[in-house]
Amino acid sequence: MACFNRVSPALVEILNKLQSGESLTDFDHNLYEYGSVRYNIQASASSPQIVNLSTWMPPLSPQFSSDCLPDCALQDVKRVYLDSAQVVEPSKQGYMLTLRINFAEFPQRKEDRMKAISDISSLQAVILSSQMKEMLWNLEPKYTGNGMCNPIKIVYQPKEPFFVIKMLEKTTVIYPMRFKDDTDVVLATSFFQELVDVSNLEAHSKAPRCTWSPIPPPELRGEPFQYLTTNGGFVSLEIFSQHMRGTKAENTVWNLLTFVSYVKYHVKCIRSFIQRKMRRRQENLTEVIRSARIRGDEDDKKHQIGGHKNVKKLMNFSRSKMFKKRYEVHVAVVSYPNWTCFLDKGATNPS
Amino acid sequence: MATTLRLYLTCIRNTLEAAMCLQNFPCQEVERHNKPEVELKTSPELLLNPVLICRNEAEKCLIETSINSIRISLKVKQADELENILAKKFLRFLSMRAESFQVLRRKPVQGYDISFLITNYHCEDMHKHKLIDFIVQFMEDIDKEISELKLSVNTRGRLVATEFLKQFI
Repeated sequence: MACFNRVSPALVEILNKLQSGESLTDFDHNLYEYGSVRYNIQASASSPQIVNLSTWMPPLSPQFSSDCLPDCALQDVKRVYLDSAQVVEPSKQGYMLTLRINFAEFPQRKEDRMKAISDISSLQAVILSSQMKEMLWNLEPKYTGNGMCNPIKIVYQPKEPFFVIKMLEKTTVIYPMRFKDDTDVVLATSFFQELVDVSNLEAHSKAPRCTWSPIPPPELRGEPFQYLTTNGGFVSLEIFSQHMRGTKAENTVWNLLTFVSYVKYHVKCIRSFIQRKMRRRQENLTEVIRSARIRGDEDDKKHQIGGHKNVKKLMNFSRSKMFKKRYEVHVAVVSYPNWTCFLDKGATNPS
Repeated sequence: MATTLRLYLTCIRNTLEAAMCLQNFPCQEVERHNKPEVELKTSPELLLNPVLICRNEAEKCLIETSINSIRISLKVKQADELENILAKKFLRFLSMRAESFQVLRRKPVQGYDISFLITNYHCEDMHKHKLIDFIVQFMEDIDKEISELKLSVNTRGRLVATEFLKQFI
């Protein structure tokens, strides 16, 4: 499952290791994320402060596939990493972008250095967001004969494509939702209903309008059957120009890209929450049945402690002590009848 | 507690109090066997008439009594899909941990969600009134737990949805 964090944790770890100077040999590391994103990190022992980071990722939409990075994305990368890295041209063979990172130019404060590293580690998010932004902003709507627009397939996660339908006044993003089991479907469906309710509230009038339907919406008519078969229905978000203005655009684009992961993470959290609650309730009920026992817990405790004590005794007693103990018991047993006889005699004969 | 639920639970409690007079009784068919007659049903003279207590069509309780054992089967309310899933999950969770309840049956009787089997040995080992209290509390708790879980799932869903949409504003 793709993560909805912008930062790649594996990349952060590697870059941290390199900037701390732990690696004293030549470093050439390949890293794969989510099965399709590829990174190559190179550093030499002679100049450990300089690291080359190359990346390749599949195009967001198969309709706009190309081997090199789109211009818009390249400009965004240059703008974002103006202070911390340089774009190397041409990029390393087999990769769409190479960044030269010079740790010597990084700020001295530890927090600032960490922030710079986490910024660089969100390279994938920067490239994908920029591609998506380009699609949402600059694409001309393609109307078909029946007044509908042609949907554009977006593949952020290989098995879960979604569709963008660009129209003049708005952009509709449709997510076919698929889940592994029935529980997930039910939990997600209840979430979608809440999402639709919340988006219809007056307080959220500026948020995108949300709709959910169990059957494919009419905009997807004509798409291959495999994309229209779902168990979780179809969620549609309507994006207007106000959501793509200024700094909001970044958030909007990233939220749209990671919506499926967001939903799945929520479902996972709900499942663990249910499990926790069930466990607590089970403990309460077990307590009730335990208290119903006639001898209660004491019997169990006694049994446990008794066993433990006996072992302790065996460990503590020497052989002589054990004999002595046995002898004392024997004497007591032997002397007891005499004593009782005496008592009986006494009782019968008071003189 | 709703009045109907209280009446339903009181009825079950009274029936259980009347039915739970169990005694040790070896099997009549096989020598040196001592099995719960309510499960084996080998001799009809050892079985009492089963009692079915219904709150409504979706909620009912079947009490089957025999000379040495009693079987209580419950059907829990499942108003919608979410309640259905939550009830299934919860009851399965409890059934899988049946050993900690002693009187819980691992597999429910057909047509019911969960079953208990109380034998004369349980009655010898436990206080009868507390055992009945446990059954009644179990029923109350299951209802309460499912309602609470449903409410929590919806509340969390609403909060998460609000947070998601807030990011666009």
